[in-house]
Amino acid sequence: MYYLGIDIGSLSCDAVLIDEGKNVKASSVVPTGARNRESIALATEIVMSRAGITGRDVKATVSTGYGRDRVEEKIASVTEITCHAKGMQALRAGAEVLIDIGGQDSKCIHMSDKTAVVNFAMNDKCAAGTGRFLEAMARALQVDIGEMGGLDKGARGGVTISSMCTVFAESEVVSLIAEGTGVNEIVKGLNRSIAARTVSLVKRVIPDYQGRPVAMSGGVAKNDGVVRAIEEALGCSVFVPDMPDTVGAFGAALFALERSTQ
Amino acid sequence: MLINYFDDLEKGIVSSINDQGGKASPRKLYSLEIARLGKRLYSGSNKVAWCGVTAPFDLLHAMGLTSCFVEFIGAMLASTGMAGSIIEESDHAGYSSDACSYHRAIMGAAMKDLMPAPEILVGTTVPCSGGLAVIENLARHFDKPLFILHIPQGDSDSDVAYLASQMKDLTGFVTEHTGIALDRGRLKAVIEKTNEARGIVNEIFDLAKHCPSPANSKDLNNFLITMALFLGSDESVSLARAYREEFAQRLSENRSGVHDEKVRLLWIQNRIQFKNPLVDTLEKEYRAVIVSDELNSITWGPIDPDDPFEGLARRAISIPFNGVTQRRIDHLKQLARNYKIQGAINPCNWGCRQGTGTRGLVEAGLREVGVPVLNLEVDCVDERKFTEGQFRTRIEAFMEMIQTRPNPWQQH
Ligand code: SF4
Repeated sequence: MYYLGIDIGSLSCDAVLIDEGKNVKASSVVPTGARNRESIALATEIVMSRAGITGRDVKATVSTGYGRDRVEEKIASVTEITCHAKGMQALRAGAEVLIDIGGQDSKCIHMSDKTAVVNFAMNDKCAAGTGRFLEAMARALQVDIGEMGGLDKGARGGVTISSMCTVFAESEVVSLIAEGTGVNEIVKGLNRSIAARTVSLVKRVIPDYQGRPVAMSGGVAKNDGVVRAIEEALGCSVFVPDMPDTVGAFGAALFALERSTQ
Repeated sequence: MLINYFDDLEKGIVSSINDQGGKASPRKLYSLEIARLGKRLYSGSNKVAWCGVTAPFDLLHAMGLTSCFVEFIGAMLASTGMAGSIIEESDHAGYSSDACSYHRAIMGAAMKDLMPAPEILVGTTVPCSGGLAVIENLARHFDKPLFILHIPQGDSDSDVAYLASQMKDLTGFVTEHTGIALDRGRLKAVIEKTNEARGIVNEIFDLAKHCPSPANSKDLNNFLITMALFLGSDESVSLARAYREEFAQRLSENRSGVHDEKVRLLWIQNRIQFKNPLVDTLEKEYRAVIVSDELNSITWGPIDPDDPFEGLARRAISIPFNGVTQRRIDHLKQLARNYKIQGAINPCNWGCRQGTGTRGLVEAGLREVGVPVLNLEVDCVDERKFTEGQFRTRIEAFMEMIQTRPNPWQQH
């Protein structure tokens, strides 16, 4: 039998299918459209066809993410904080600090072997420094969001993006372009501003974070430039799994397995 | 407009009590007293004093004034869902959109003629400078006399004497501007009632400490801060008795406030004042009960009815929001121990410098006794800023976390 985890976030809907041995059989990431029930159906259909199974082979589904209540077939819904911690602990044993930056949320989770989540904090009030922030900046720079990760190469790092508000940061970027500042310098400045926000979140949750193994999940973890900037700011290396955007769905799938066999 | 609201509220409650053969839950009686206070404030036939939170309401009551802290209006507007549009109005009085929404709502209400003109105003320097500023604004707006009580941060004998003498001066100020003289005999009777209610309220809190608690999360919502407005009256004593009897009865019947209570929570500072689903989510999905509130605790001793000014001063100084943060933290830790708290929720009301500036210290202090804190960053008055999904996720994740932690009080 198989176990399905579905993570319905603000930008993407992710599904992960695992077997009884916790092995990932298939995963999918589709954009969360205006009608998220359709995105859920599509993400589910893709994983099942990739794994060559039908709905009858799925013993249990657990949902997570902002749209978690929209999944009809679920046996339970679990928040993305708990699911990300669960997924990352399975991917990286011993990781204690988890940074997750998704479409509109950034969070830091302190994990331990005993209780999974020891403490957590999320961005407050606005979505600065999240996936949506980067999307707006890519638009202002007229570059593809998928290419942004490598665009800071060769930058000296002298540019500071001081505004945390997405709209003001966008106009700062436009002025820098008008002044002839190189795209690589601007991107590096953006990465560093996200890193600064992230580090303050980490310090809030785990004031003595130094020396603890750090991991990162969420769509923004695919952006090498941001990860590098966070590593520089934290002064340590950050583990990023192969598919960082599906860690939450993977955690949900693990809960599906655990709860249906309890 | 608001007089109609309070009038309808009173009629609705009275008719529902009559339908139940005269029986009413204490919470219903509490709402009835609020409706009646609202009517007294808005009737136009009573002498009204708009005050700061730590004013001596029983003393003013003894002098025949209907007194109320102005934040009550902010909370009422929020609970009726009217605060949003009124808050905008305060921008014209120079309020920043970052200011506390209680005060923005009050100022907006005054500018929209939704607050009755007072006879006098009594500002207090505690709990917050924003509260004093709004009273000063109102004094100008209504062009009415203002008396300010400077509440000392310490509780030395000279601090107490300093405030006690200001309170005596306050009685002179009331006489000067309303023509009402202080009747010592009446003051004595009022203070005796205050002491009686104080004693019963302490018993209510002791009953609420039982595991599982007879209280649910809504029973004591805003309880003591509002009760302060009724102190000195017969109604305050009968309301307190109703709570005590109800909780005692629930305990004798083994009825807990939340069925199958699993998690006990502490709410820091004030509650969210508009309708929202968070408390229901806590109770229904996690069997969690907000069993204690930071503002629900008697921090002062009985007051001498023959010489009440010193006791009244001690009471105002004693609130944990006064003075250094460590005092507040010690109080929260005490509540955590007494109520066997497993987690605390701090709404960190937007614009509250008193609350948000200390949240790191409060969180660290409670962590020392094994109690994790969820910081919400919610505007407790302006429902337009409430993003339900985001807050639900934070609350649910917090509960998932607590469920996997050992109960800090089980091993003791
Ligand atoms: S929330 Fe803070 S700023 Fe607002 S009234 Fe209360 S103490 Fe004052």
